[in-house]
Amino acid sequence: MIVLAIARDLLAEARSRRWVLAFLGGATLLLAAVAFGLRFEVVDGALAATRLFGGDLKSDVRSVDVALRPLFVATSYLVFYCGLVFGVVATADFAPALLAPGRIEPLLALPVRRWQVLAGTFLGVEALVLAAALYGGAGVALLLWLKTGVANAGPLVAAASAAVAFAPIYAAMLTAALGVRSAALSGGAGLLLLVAGVVAGNRAAVAELFQPGASRSVFLGVTSLLPRLSALAKVAAAASESRPVPGGPLLALVAGTLAFALAVLALGVDRFERRDF
Amino acid sequence: MKRHVPLLLAVLLVGLSALLLSVAEGPRPASARAEVDFPRWLREPEAERLQARRTLAPVPAPAAAPEAEEEPPRPRDPFLVALPRDPQKPLVVLEANALRHSRLGELFVECLLRRPGRDPFEEARREAGIDPLKDIDRVAFAQDGMILFGFFDRAQLAALEAESRVTRRGEQGLVYEPLRATGPAMSLGTWRRELIVAGEPAFVEATLDRLEGRSAGTPALIPERLTYGEAYGVVPGAALANLFRGEQAELGRRIASAASRIELHADAMRDVAVVANVSGADERAVEDLGTALGAAIAVGRIQALAGGSSQVAELLEHARVVRGAGGGFSLELALPVEVLERWFAGCGTAQP
Repeated sequence: MIVLAIARDLLAEARSRRWVLAFLGGATLLLAAVAFGLRFEVVDGALAATRLFGGDLKSDVRSVDVALRPLFVATSYLVFYCGLVFGVVATADFAPALLAPGRIEPLLALPVRRWQVLAGTFLGVEALVLAAALYGGAGVALLLWLKTGVANAGPLVAAASAAVAFAPIYAAMLTAALGVRSAALSGGAGLLLLVAGVVAGNRAAVAELFQPGASRSVFLGVTSLLPRLSALAKVAAAASESRPVPGGPLLALVAGTLAFALAVLALGVDRFERRDF
Repeated sequence: MKRHVPLLLAVLLVGLSALLLSVAEGPRPASARAEVDFPRWLREPEAERLQARRTLAPVPAPAAAPEAEEEPPRPRDPFLVALPRDPQKPLVVLEANALRHSRLGELFVECLLRRPGRDPFEEARREAGIDPLKDIDRVAFAQDGMILFGFFDRAQLAALEAESRVTRRGEQGLVYEPLRATGPAMSLGTWRRELIVAGEPAFVEATLDRLEGRSAGTPALIPERLTYGEAYGVVPGAALANLFRGEQAELGRRIASAASRIELHADAMRDVAVVANVSGADERAVEDLGTALGAAIAVGRIQALAGGSSQVAELLEHARVVRGAGGGFSLELALPVEVLERWFAGCGTAQP
């Protein structure tokens, strides 16, 4: 309960921060720009041509959802990766601010365990990112539905995947901030893990670029420990294309990613416990 | 101890995470094993093999005998003596008996025997008295004909003799020319009961003449030191150019002009490993060709992976270009036995 209370406090604080509100406002404006500014006529025209000429020629006319799959896939990737980058940028200074002199001491004076402070902060940020990602994902899905007449859950799945992928990223950011109280370093750690996670998600293909031997083994060994973040993006892309995603591997992927986040968080707890304020 | 709980927990969770993520990935696509033994030089069993094959009497020493210190002429391998020696024409030798007992050979023969219908080797056994799976030791493929070497004591030549004009060539050679020629002139020759040569009449006669010591001592195209692997040979650049037709003809000519000689060696006892040693007069051009080939292999492998062409990707997995010490380069290609077995799985069985 204490953990949840800390998370709730963090969300309340985020709500009061102008720049978070500004960020959400910016995302809304972006969605509006997508709705009104982009030339969806191209899509409409392509669909009309498919219907017209496909019908006349009596050839196989692709259904609208199939014709639009590339668009949905691209949108899912956009929501996933933009959501992650947004999350890193938006939350980079949370942990450094929490650990700032004059602020952490009163918090630690309360009857709260240090791991509870970290866990509460982590959960609060995760909830914030999930809400923002769902906002963006749902907005994009809604816009696409209105413009094309096809409902596609891809952007929503991408938003949920981004929230899962953000867990290890923010755990790394939090742990980095416990080492050096710097928003830049915290954000850098997050982006680094994001890139490493993309590589790890494609490790089998990337490994083929190494000569067989020690270098390839080292690469495979190191990346076996990292979360496969790009694999989560591919799940969203598969959902956009209405391709089935096997439940077992998906569950293992999500559980493995969250376990990695908890491992990094445990490292952060270890640092936090050893540090004097 | 309590202080270390978070660290221990972190280690356990990293392990759990790695386990779960590997489960999520599923089994890795089969990758070829790292170590494939490429035929790069004559190995001990092959050196022993070539010693055992020296059954033909040496060429007699010239009348003006050299000093006693010179090494006496040694016996020769009749098959190597019989091989054509024109450097402008390709020549490839298959160690048929070794290949038959290699993994590749086993898979190939199993595949043929599994096919519905007659045993494909039965006709040769019945009509010629030759068992292709047992009696043939080596086969040479040349531009103008082919040479079989092996154990042909049971070969049934009566029918052939009845339909041919038979002439003796040297002490132990026989030439069979068909009485009724259909198509291009072809003849067949035998030497002892060890060698059969088929092809253009001039090719057959020249082969027998070399065995009988009736031809000039032109240097061998494939000397003993190059007889390693289960297949080996020499291909001149000009022959390579013929592989490129139409729009690719110019490309073929350029490759041929850089690579004037390609020496091939292939192992197949377990993994199939092929080495092509490429050399040419213009070292710079050969080096450029090797570099371009190396880049093409890398791009091809990535394209195959991206395009889902798993067989091509597997073939290119061990492909690489190795620079030679004395100019030229070697192109190495390998197919590990696991990949080979997978490719042959189901071969020869009736398709539904």
